[in-house]
Amino acid sequence: MKKQYGLLLLVLLVSLTTVLAGCGGSNAGQGSGANAGTNEAGGTEANADGQAGGEAVENAEPFTVSLRHIQIGDAKKFRKAILDDAIAKAEAEVPGLAFELDGVEDEVNRFTKLPAEMAAGNPPKIFDLFGGEGDALKYADAGRLLDLTPILEELGLADKFLNMGQFTLDGKVYGLPIGGSTEGFFYNKKLFAEYGIEVPTSLEELEQAAETLKANGVTPIAMGSQAAWVPLMLANTLIGRYAGPEAINGFRDGSAAWDSPEVVAAFAKYQEWVDNGYFTKGELGVTYDAMLNEFLAGKAGMMFDGSWRASAFTNPDLVKEITSEDVGYFAMPAVPGGKGDQTAVNGNYSNGYGFSSNLNERELAAVKAFIKHLYNDEMQVRGLLEDALLPSMKLSDPAASEIDTKLEDPVVKQIMETMNAAGEAFSHFDSVVQSDVYSETEQQIQRLIAGRATPQEVGDVLQQAQEAANAK
Amino acid sequence: MRSSLRNPYIYTLFVVPTLGLYALFFIYPMLTSVGYGFTDWNGLQDTNFIGFANFERAFADSSFWNAVRNNMIFILFSVCVQVPLIVFFAILISQVRRFQGFYKTTVFVPSILSTAVIGILWGFMYDPEVGIINQFLGLLGVETIYWLADTRWALLAVLMTNAWQWMGFYIVLVLAAILSLPKEINEAASIDGASGFQQAWHITVPLIKPIISVIVMLSIAGAMRVVDIVLVMTNGGPIGATDVMASYMVNRAIRYGDYGYGTALSIMIFAIALLLTALYQLTFGKMRERVEF
Repeated sequence: MKKQYGLLLLVLLVSLTTVLAGCGGSNAGQGSGANAGTNEAGGTEANADGQAGGEAVENAEPFTVSLRHIQIGDAKKFRKAILDDAIAKAEAEVPGLAFELDGVEDEVNRFTKLPAEMAAGNPPKIFDLFGGEGDALKYADAGRLLDLTPILEELGLADKFLNMGQFTLDGKVYGLPIGGSTEGFFYNKKLFAEYGIEVPTSLEELEQAAETLKANGVTPIAMGSQAAWVPLMLANTLIGRYAGPEAINGFRDGSAAWDSPEVVAAFAKYQEWVDNGYFTKGELGVTYDAMLNEFLAGKAGMMFDGSWRASAFTNPDLVKEITSEDVGYFAMPAVPGGKGDQTAVNGNYSNGYGFSSNLNERELAAVKAFIKHLYNDEMQVRGLLEDALLPSMKLSDPAASEIDTKLEDPVVKQIMETMNAAGEAFSHFDSVVQSDVYSETEQQIQRLIAGRATPQEVGDVLQQAQEAANAK
Repeated sequence: MRSSLRNPYIYTLFVVPTLGLYALFFIYPMLTSVGYGFTDWNGLQDTNFIGFANFERAFADSSFWNAVRNNMIFILFSVCVQVPLIVFFAILISQVRRFQGFYKTTVFVPSILSTAVIGILWGFMYDPEVGIINQFLGLLGVETIYWLADTRWALLAVLMTNAWQWMGFYIVLVLAAILSLPKEINEAASIDGASGFQQAWHITVPLIKPIISVIVMLSIAGAMRVVDIVLVMTNGGPIGATDVMASYMVNRAIRYGDYGYGTALSIMIFAIALLLTALYQLTFGKMRERVEF
């Protein structure tokens, strides 16, 4: 009996000491690490700002601010470098601040991780955020996002952004677009020259080009539809052509209908191209990255994608058969019988950063420093020059002229020219329509591609979903 | 000590903390989740009680029933294809005289790999252009099959991967049962002139019936809650061809922020699992009598 008590006591003792040792260890570790951190920060700060800075740092407790970004992988390394620089500057400015970076794949963050964190109420302090009904505005409405209006006033950024529509709710700003984008056709100049194809200026020429490529055993248009947003980019632009640029915003307010003949015509054109074999075979199993690889390997003549992809052509880790010299860009040509401005292009200012509404004073200072160092002329210019990300802010004259003189990337130049030539810009419907409707568009475009739904059926189902969502 | 353990108060003292933790981490979340199933909670805003609307929606939701159907296919595939193959391979390996350990290890290896690794690995094997499976089929003159992109083939592709991952684990279980059978029975049978197949069919299989029954149960349970391999390989696509109940629920709840409906679906899944368990107990479960030898 006694022996058993002894054993119990021993077990208790051992576990207790282990726990205590664990605590002690981690405490000690944290303490020393923190001290080192402060000293280091103090050093750099003192060097930069002289004695005043050094004094302020000495009494600054170190603290971390979590930051979620989506700049992972080779294709995004330029954007990551820009982010890193902005972070380093903000850390140098705020005593004791250390950002804790958390890189997550774009779609996982947008559709899985961030929604779950928002539901649980513990998002990172700073995170990558998309604008629009399904993302920023939904979270803002639930009080999860920091109202940035006073910060923008303080930093003098209030009227610097080109388009904040997708982040603005009731006149308050809840997120900042990091850049702009447009979508169109990238094409392989080598293949076009080889088969004597001219850059298409009409829909007929575009289809003729696709036929020629197909006849020569080349995939006309690289397409990776495993994730439905990829084919939806092209469907979106076709709707903009057939139903007019106004239709995109019209779904939400009821002035445009998914089952109208114009929108159905856009889906019908998409299906016609699928049936004609213009897209990558087995596209429903092809990822977005694989689509880029197919184009880079010279196996596809064209690729419908966003302007952000232009940086991939200058990335030595990615380019294979072709370099940026071999890539051209054109916007979707006018379609016969299309409504509205046929030169309009897709123009988006929807991806950027949002901030948790749950911040303490010091974290707020960190957020301010982060905004100050990421959203300025210098970073905007770098974004365009290094990463092909169109500016989301109005640039000062020197910055604009810097772009004029330094922009060498032929693809980005062409994208800029295409944008300047466009009469107007329309958004992505995914930033306009409600989540319910968007989820239905994802289902339906894949059904259309698989031949499981006719264009009219797609339009009917989407219109039902839209009416149900509008009635909520 | 002995007397103190007979004292009900001491008992209670020991049991209460555990019960408390159990209530906190199992009972309470379960009850709240049942509660959310009757609301329109979107994960962000306040919840409204909407009665049975979520369940009515689930009964009318063809995508959900499509997922249920796929789960049933998973179960049928496990029981009708996997289990016989497992028994076959186990008997085969049990007959091997040399390098038996090597075979045992080889078939077991897939079950220690993580599902994510397996999903990606097989994704490469199924690649229509460079994948080894199509390369091989190409030699036989079969046209390119878009395994994971074709609604006709995607589910089969996932089923095969899933089977490959788990069969080794079960083979080792059955093998252990076979090897523990007394040698004398088979020796007597071979003296009487029974062929290898006759021995396997009339002696080995009946004697390992209990373990087969356990494997059937484990396969059904596994097929009911399968989700990781689907999420890694296809995420339910193309257009729901490989969606199972759990993946559909996860996507509904988290991706589209439909937490109320998602919880209602999870209650439905629970009900379906309960129903299947009852069915199993009435059929296969009776087979689990002890075999004496």
